[in-house]
Amino acid sequence: MLQVEDLDAGYGESLAVHAVSLHVDGGEAVAVIGSNGAGKTTLLRAICGLLRPRAGTVTFNSESLVGEPAHRIARRGVAYVPAERHLFPAMSVQENLELGAYPLRADRRQLELVFELFPRLRDLLSQQAGTMSGGEQQMLAVGRALMSRPGLLMLDEPTTGLAPILAEEAYASLGVLRGEGTTVLVAEQQVPLALDLADRAYVIEDGRIQMEGPAGDLQGNPDVRRAYMGIA
Amino acid sequence: MSEAPLPVDADDAAADTTRRARDSVWWAYFPVMVTAVVLAGVPLVIGDSRFFMGLAVLGLAYAGYGVGFNIIFGNTNQLFLCLGALAGVGAYGSSILGSEMDLPMLVTIPLSVAGAALLGAVFSWVSVRRRLDVIFVGIITLTFSLMFINLLLGQRDLTGGETGLVILYDAGVVGRRGTASFYVFLAVLVAFLAAHRWIQRSHIGWAFRALRDDELAAELAGIDVARYKVVGGIVGSAMVGLIGALYAHYEGFISPTTFELGNVDVPVLVMVAFGGIGSLLAPVIGSAVFTVVDEVLRPFSQLRVAVYGVILLTLFLGFRRGLIPAATDLLRRVTRRR
Amino acid sequence: MAVVFDGVAYGLQLGLLAVGLTMIYGLGGVLNLAHGQFAVLAAIAIAVLSDRLPTPAALVAGLAIAALAALATDATIMRAVYRLDGEARVLLSLLLTIGLAFVIDGLLIYNYPFTQLKLSVPGPAVDILGVPMRRGSLAASALALSALALLIVFLRYTRRGRAVRSVIQDEEGAQLCGIDPARVRTAVFALSGALAGLAAVAEGLTSSVSATDGTELTILALIVTVVGGLGSVAGALLAGLLLGLVYTMSQVYIGTYVTLVILLLTAMVTILIRPAGLLGRGV
Repeated sequence: MLQVEDLDAGYGESLAVHAVSLHVDGGEAVAVIGSNGAGKTTLLRAICGLLRPRAGTVTFNSESLVGEPAHRIARRGVAYVPAERHLFPAMSVQENLELGAYPLRADRRQLELVFELFPRLRDLLSQQAGTMSGGEQQMLAVGRALMSRPGLLMLDEPTTGLAPILAEEAYASLGVLRGEGTTVLVAEQQVPLALDLADRAYVIEDGRIQMEGPAGDLQGNPDVRRAYMGIA
Repeated sequence: MSEAPLPVDADDAAADTTRRARDSVWWAYFPVMVTAVVLAGVPLVIGDSRFFMGLAVLGLAYAGYGVGFNIIFGNTNQLFLCLGALAGVGAYGSSILGSEMDLPMLVTIPLSVAGAALLGAVFSWVSVRRRLDVIFVGIITLTFSLMFINLLLGQRDLTGGETGLVILYDAGVVGRRGTASFYVFLAVLVAFLAAHRWIQRSHIGWAFRALRDDELAAELAGIDVARYKVVGGIVGSAMVGLIGALYAHYEGFISPTTFELGNVDVPVLVMVAFGGIGSLLAPVIGSAVFTVVDEVLRPFSQLRVAVYGVILLTLFLGFRRGLIPAATDLLRRVTRRR
Repeated sequence: MAVVFDGVAYGLQLGLLAVGLTMIYGLGGVLNLAHGQFAVLAAIAIAVLSDRLPTPAALVAGLAIAALAALATDATIMRAVYRLDGEARVLLSLLLTIGLAFVIDGLLIYNYPFTQLKLSVPGPAVDILGVPMRRGSLAASALALSALALLIVFLRYTRRGRAVRSVIQDEEGAQLCGIDPARVRTAVFALSGALAGLAAVAEGLTSSVSATDGTELTILALIVTVVGGLGSVAGALLAGLLLGLVYTMSQVYIGTYVTLVILLLTAMVTILIRPAGLLGRGV
């Protein structure tokens, strides 16, 4: 479904991502794990068009995404939930969700699906996004992304700023989505959560893929355990 | 020779001497001296034409405003759109003090310049205090300009309203039209340029550069940003006020129109931006070019404004950072290739 | 009472003049210093065309011309501006639109030095709550009020209007929703041209507009925009009303040139007390 090959990307003079190749198949959940500053965000931004890749190819459903502006990539079905969420703070939950479906026009059924996943949002429908708690904003950000019925849901650090219990809840709902067959690509430094969710994972450090494999294998890998899970 | 790790060959030695020359005081003030010498020759070419001399003096006055603006905006990042008002404070202040209190010019000019400097200090201080963005400083000062012009129009008893003010008493050398006043304005301009260069080379200039790059970082590095911004505001405003006062005595007549936004702030902004905001000689080059352009376009009457606009658009779409930086870049590229 | 009515009427006009400017700033962080010139362009076009066309057709044509001029500006000058970021972007927009203002001013003053837009609504004054109001002034208020109401309905309740607000609130978020910020900016720039034209029509109903009025209108719009909070439509309306009331009150109770000084002083003080504007950012 998504195929990234030899991708270089970065800001200014320096490259934050070097020759990264990865792929996500339909229905799969894939995690990109690594520490802060490893290049995860740059990688996702380059895929969704917010940052123009320097070199390499990105294809989605066998169409090239390189050089396409972000709004057009979003319309092709790649939904991106940034770590900072980028909600519309002075708009209600309902308006935020409806804008998520902007190219398709708002759709009652899709709205119901989002409410099924996040019942809390139904109660907050007329609340302004900027006044909500971090956990609620996270739900809204994912909900808004789902409104466009994306082929691929990409999330950058969905646990940013969340208390541990809320972080687990966030991953629980991603688990539900995955169970429903949504294709997910998640970048995360909370490695245990991400590996529990994912089928496969890539380990990225200094902008390069260091390791890849089934999530279960990486969970058992002593290097990964030492570096990211705080276990000797 | 602390920077010796590079292999020294003939070429590098040459480069090294030029580098050392560049660091020397003479080299630093070289542009100021060249400007002085070149401009001092102007009356030799056009000295017999009163009309052209008048134009030349006007050009010098604009260059002087430009240096003040360049220090305030180019160095400390405060967009003062009240140059006309500051010049007006200098001009009206000096003339009114002279006529009402019968003081000599040597007293009235410093007093009115101090008034302009104080005003600049207040603007700087308030905008630093309120942490206003560039644009907000611009709008606050622009609003003040309009207020000032309206006050001039309203206070008829003092200012003569829109008919203006004729300055009756003798202004000495400044008022003697022609070569003498030209050299007075030139001397002031050269002094401004030298002062600007001196500031650039002193610790103030170092602080200016730091705060222009990144105000927050400068503050964290221990630079008293507020103080330096106020210094910039005071020095630049005093310069603008002085030119305003001198111009009033030279011309012998002032009216609110003289100090309107469109007659001072806009042309000065355009001139300095044309030369390259922050560059030492930008005001001189900008003023020279636009004084000539303005004269060439005069026969087109109102259409002149439109042509002026077209020139502006072409220039700023072409050389965004101004002519001097663009030219330096080109020069550097050419020399490097060689 | 009469003062309040006059103040509100003038305030609505100021608000109408400023909303276009504030939306453009909100969308792209740029200032259009040719805004008043677009208004004057529409006014002169209407005045000239109404010799040949029925008035309603001339009005529509005039507004369309202002919108087209704005569209052309967006397609040329603004392209270069949007390539920059932050402060450099605002400054270039300032310099380029000053240039554009010169072009429009020069051409209009040269070609139509004596043309004026003066729209009269015949008939005696209308009594409203015991206050006699001139018909022209009522028509101007009605025009401004309905235009502003329509604008707010558009922004709040239509799909495209929400897209506009989304770009103002979070451009990146809007992109992620499949909204093209460049297209939104273009459309709103054209709309701002037409709104400026409408403001000129309202001005023509109460007094008159001539080719030399561009700069004054630009500066008024700028002041109202900043007092209200750059990028805030509701703020522009509030600031328009506030300044309109201050203006008419000081005109009645103090009079003469002090009126404008008080208006400007109010603006300055408001900006200093609340640099973010009365309503800050957000629509």
